[in-house]
Amino acid sequence: MNVVLSLLLIALFVGAGVWLAAVVDRALGAWRAGARPDGLFMGPLREAAAMLVRPRAETEVTDALFRLLAPGWYLALAAVSFSVVPFAPGIVATAPSTGLVLWGACEALVIVVVFIHGWAPNSPFPLIGAYRYVAIGLPAMLPSMFVLIAAAVPAESLALPAVVESQRELWNVVRQPLGLILFLAIGLTITLRGPFDYADPEDLAGGTSAEESGPALALWRLARLAMLVSFSAMAATVFFGGYLGPWLPGPVWLALKTLAVMFATQAVGHLLPRMPAPRMLAAFWLVALPLSFADLLLVGLESLA
Amino acid sequence: MAVARHSFLAGSAAAPVFAAVGENGLASVEALARRPGLRLVQSPRQAAILLVAGEPGRAVEEALQRVHDQLPPPRTTLWWGARPHFEGEAILSNTDPLPTLRTLWLELLDGARRGEAALLPDEPPHPWRGLGDRGHGGEGMMGGTPYGRPMAMTAEDPRDGLTLDPYTARYGPFLPMLPPGLQMEITTQGDMIVEARALHSPFGQEPAALTPSAHAARLLRLLGLPPLSIRGARWRGVFRAIPPGLGVDGHGDDVRARLCRWLSGEANAPSAPPLGEMLHGLEWQEAMLVLASHELDALRLSVLSAHAPGESS
Repeated sequence: MNVVLSLLLIALFVGAGVWLAAVVDRALGAWRAGARPDGLFMGPLREAAAMLVRPRAETEVTDALFRLLAPGWYLALAAVSFSVVPFAPGIVATAPSTGLVLWGACEALVIVVVFIHGWAPNSPFPLIGAYRYVAIGLPAMLPSMFVLIAAAVPAESLALPAVVESQRELWNVVRQPLGLILFLAIGLTITLRGPFDYADPEDLAGGTSAEESGPALALWRLARLAMLVSFSAMAATVFFGGYLGPWLPGPVWLALKTLAVMFATQAVGHLLPRMPAPRMLAAFWLVALPLSFADLLLVGLESLA
Repeated sequence: MAVARHSFLAGSAAAPVFAAVGENGLASVEALARRPGLRLVQSPRQAAILLVAGEPGRAVEEALQRVHDQLPPPRTTLWWGARPHFEGEAILSNTDPLPTLRTLWLELLDGARRGEAALLPDEPPHPWRGLGDRGHGGEGMMGGTPYGRPMAMTAEDPRDGLTLDPYTARYGPFLPMLPPGLQMEITTQGDMIVEARALHSPFGQEPAALTPSAHAARLLRLLGLPPLSIRGARWRGVFRAIPPGLGVDGHGDDVRARLCRWLSGEANAPSAPPLGEMLHGLEWQEAMLVLASHELDALRLSVLSAHAPGESS
């Protein structure tokens, strides 16, 4: 019963979250461009409908299977990574003792999905985007696991329900603010957003999506937003105490915290410029990775004390 | 009922338009990007309407036809201040194209307008079958131009001495991240440019497209920041995103120096080094930043002078 309830909640979170994320994206984009958003709440639905009525473009000698699968696989990764997030004590789709590892695996597979999405259409821009994302993605995923392990140390467990319960006294964001900052950067990378959008940027005319149109493009955009919702729910669970909170029921607290993280991630995405790829790689390998070690070390020392 | 509701939603959506910019069309297209009711997309695949703004001329006609064929059907063309080279509606350059674009979008949606047929034959442009070791036109399992797409051969990588595949292709003249009209043949290894050669020079543009703020806006768009927020760009973080020494020209100025000057409202020195020299060894994104950091007219002069009679290259 609880599994069915949590599956319904996942569908509700992802469905409503994707729409809200698209609305927020529109509002932030208009704000940054100094214009009025055009049809704020209905806009995303209209854009989706406009994409769905357009046909799919064919390219020469495509990898047809990969081209078909990539957007669906991305969406599936978003859904699977959501399945370990607890909505209330006992209400979780699946609670393996290694929930954080499952989430990390989904996150790492995003590299593969983005690569095959760029590989499949047999076209230079998507391929350049795909190669570049692999180069950026690898050093971005490494700090992610250190940060998540650091968050699991106070709980002495890799299971998400235990991680939430360990935050009853004190949220992890207070114990490890550095971890949250690194985790937000990772969220930008796995949703191809703002400064870390090396796969689908303007300088490649849309990169891995440059040859996509119609329903496939709509699904790819949907999957990117679904991954953002999933990431935000995970960040809310690991750093902001997940479903914990007074008066309101657990899922409502989780929804509010997820929304706050989602809004912050999107705002950062709209505010920061994109560095040339070699510079960003240096930043990941030489700054983010050592910082994630330091985060883990500090948390380890604190737990010994 | 569901179908009607669906096309009603799509009909009230912004019309997806790909803009191919010709002579004196850039300022009008950049102004159009801010208007509600249409969305300027980055790739022709995502568009239903091809907007040809300004006269592209006969030299790039085939490239324009190729862009046209890349729009998925049903598609249509609007010639805005350009003499029609093929089917489509035409309006004068001083007419507001928005009402026409909206009408074309709705007509395409409800089937009142039949889409335009492909202009180029759908066949490999190069003979390749039966040539080379495996009948693909190249050596070993590489090289050749099957389906008119050159395949890579291995060559030494200038970065680390490993052998990697250089890939040569033509880019432009209607790519949104390049100056309109600029067509180049670029050889890349991974995303690094090892050779670039201009095939067509950028189109001349009206003064409104050549102001410092228009140039700064283009550079900021490439950095992933919406182009109009110049006030935000004064924030030093923008300069942290650009490495110092990127795209140094004969005057010792780099991309940072040029952006800095534009944001303070000054024009830059109107000269640019030859394209091959400017882009050699840069990664794709850096190369686009360097190109966007030069004045359009300077780029145009640089390409034109490289093509000057007497220099056969």
